[in-house]
Amino acid sequence: MKGKELVLHALRGGQCSTIPWVPFVGVHGGHLIGKNATDYLHSTELMVSGISKAIEVYEPDGIPVCFDLQIEAEALGCTLGWADENPPAVLSHPLSGNGNLEGLKPISPDQGRIPLVLDVTRKLRKQYPDIALYGLVTGPFTLGLHLLGTDIFMKMFEDPAWIQKLLKFTSEVTCAMSRYYIEAGCDIIAVVDPMTSQIGPDQFTEFIHQPVKAVFDDIRKQGKLSSFFVCGHAQQNIEVMCKTGPDNISIDENIPLDFVRNVCQNYQISFGGNLQLTLVMLMGTPEDCQKNAVDCIDIAGNTGFILAPGCDLPMKTPMANLQAVSKVVRDTYQQDVIRTLEHKPDKTKKLNLDEYGKRDRIIVDIITLDSESCAPCQDMVEAVKEVAPLFEGLVEWREHSIKNLEGVTFMSSLFVKNIPTICIDGKISFVSQIPPRSELIRAIQNRINEKLKIRLRVKQGEILLLGKSSEEIAPLREKTHQAIAELGVTIEIREETDPELIQSLGVTQTPAWVSVKYKIRSESGQPGNEVIKEWIKEII
Amino acid sequence: MNPEELLAKIAKCVERGKVNKTSPYPPDLKGEDGADELSAQALVEGIAADQVLGQGLVPGMQIVGVKFRENKVFVPEVLMAAKAMSAGMKHLKPYFQSGEVKRKGIFIIGTVMGDLHDIGKNLLGMIVEGAGWQVIDLGIDVPAAKFIAAIDENPGAYVGLSCLLTTTMLNMEKIVTEIKAIRPDTKVLIGGAPVTEDFRQKIGADWYSQDPQGAVDYLNKIA
Repeated sequence: MKGKELVLHALRGGQCSTIPWVPFVGVHGGHLIGKNATDYLHSTELMVSGISKAIEVYEPDGIPVCFDLQIEAEALGCTLGWADENPPAVLSHPLSGNGNLEGLKPISPDQGRIPLVLDVTRKLRKQYPDIALYGLVTGPFTLGLHLLGTDIFMKMFEDPAWIQKLLKFTSEVTCAMSRYYIEAGCDIIAVVDPMTSQIGPDQFTEFIHQPVKAVFDDIRKQGKLSSFFVCGHAQQNIEVMCKTGPDNISIDENIPLDFVRNVCQNYQISFGGNLQLTLVMLMGTPEDCQKNAVDCIDIAGNTGFILAPGCDLPMKTPMANLQAVSKVVRDTYQQDVIRTLEHKPDKTKKLNLDEYGKRDRIIVDIITLDSESCAPCQDMVEAVKEVAPLFEGLVEWREHSIKNLEGVTFMSSLFVKNIPTICIDGKISFVSQIPPRSELIRAIQNRINEKLKIRLRVKQGEILLLGKSSEEIAPLREKTHQAIAELGVTIEIREETDPELIQSLGVTQTPAWVSVKYKIRSESGQPGNEVIKEWIKEII
Repeated sequence: MNPEELLAKIAKCVERGKVNKTSPYPPDLKGEDGADELSAQALVEGIAADQVLGQGLVPGMQIVGVKFRENKVFVPEVLMAAKAMSAGMKHLKPYFQSGEVKRKGIFIIGTVMGDLHDIGKNLLGMIVEGAGWQVIDLGIDVPAAKFIAAIDENPGAYVGLSCLLTTTMLNMEKIVTEIKAIRPDTKVLIGGAPVTEDFRQKIGADWYSQDPQGAVDYLNKIA
């Protein structure tokens, strides 16, 4: 199951083997196609092209048509301040002062930018029949605040009947806008009412419950599903939000996801959220985003949950960050890797592996999650295991499971980023993909050849001829010179007659022939303790 | 009513958002005097202006600030309390001008350049003012130069920057950097929905609080 079907299944509270992913692309769509927010939000063509680009690069299961909470306000006469990197802000409030509520007319589909977003919806619907399209409508309270300004808060106390009348009107606008979006092809209507985060549950119940419930009832009557989006510190209101009867509630990082999960589950309502918008999505790395996504999935579980950013994505959210989320959400194996890597080693504990791989043998390291429980890891280990004997003892292989601290330290020391990975003599050689047998053999052979070349370039050692006197050594000297000449190599011969030295070399009877092999293990560096131990093992 | 009772009643009016006799809110105090009438009465009865401020209006607002932080009251109640507070304050204006009543210090506030949202900033202004500070509100969409000019006009003032949008957080960073470069001794407080303590550390501001009362606590501590 994927796309629209998956989102609808989760919205209805269903269990999902893959978590549905709905990036809230608003003016970020403009960024994807190199356009500013103002131009983007004024053009059907640009919005279709921005959302199409988002669908192409983020492979979402669902996506909003447009994230702009000022569309209805603009149609009702609010003036907007436009910006390059943000949706517009409402600058004037037609009902402030002594504005006449009776003078406000219901909206129609031909006002302001409403025809434009409906056109975008129709085009996207045609182009992407299998992706869930969200129609985002301004919630009654936020729309009321746009119309009246911040006086709305005090007027709730000073003239509650008037505020109830205002919210009945805005609720009708929200219902109308929902119907337009549904007729144009949206699958889900999200009622976005962030300003309700500024009031308490008692005020919510008194003023907001009925107007919002009317919208959700209306959406249901038309056979569609709904979501209630509230960003900000709205924890106090989650329960009263549930009582308005949405199919789903979506929140941002200001509210703990487990709290929302528990409350929503009590009301049999699905939920969504709450990837961190700024520090992670906007300013973090792709790895941070993946970790945040996995954390959300782990807290939320796989039943009735939709993974989404907490709110409208900041315009310049790096594309790579969202792509990283889209990759990890479908890759349960990668999710496991991230969970395991949560215990990252302290950077200061990195092994110094500069000199790694200077032994005579070729070392093949396989960094795995755990070859017993992870199929790709097992395949990779098997591949190495199978070819190693072909090199008759020259190749030594080791598995480093990152379930152990040793494995994690090793992984970070070799700068390995993906699991599983094969390193040959400390060099990353195969990442994630299991290499075909022939390629693996070739890679190991290449390394052997490289090492041989290095060896030919250096002075390899010397020969010690030991005896009580020069005369005793003479026959050996002659034979050795002969052998060296036949091999055509250059090697130094040293003769020693000092009995103490001869004894210190472990020689008890003379004449004796001893070879000394020099091998440069380190030049102008400080090899780590682990590496030096490896070298020592070879000569003891 | 003795002076203590009168001052306690003023505090209660601010806490409950009872502005004046005609205001219908809160319903249980309908028809009773509000912060407006009681502050005037206190001055007539010879209670010193700084007592009306320090033992009447400010303690009332402080309770609201703490309740707001604890999620016991929300924006509407804070705004009503601020309205009651300012109804009382208007009687103190002459005493501020004559210097008889002094404020704790000056706090310059503004929403950063590129950001047109003012609810958070206004709440902060009201609560800090309610704690006995003079608040200079530079409004919305305020560039660094305007903050710096206000600092120069009001030496020793503290500065509070607000933003609601994630994109304008970057402007907040620029403004903090500029203020710190030119007036390094100025203490800069930041706040707003997307702002966090990590972000404060990153941009080198002096204090972050997720609620206005946190800013009041900080200001009262360092002033």
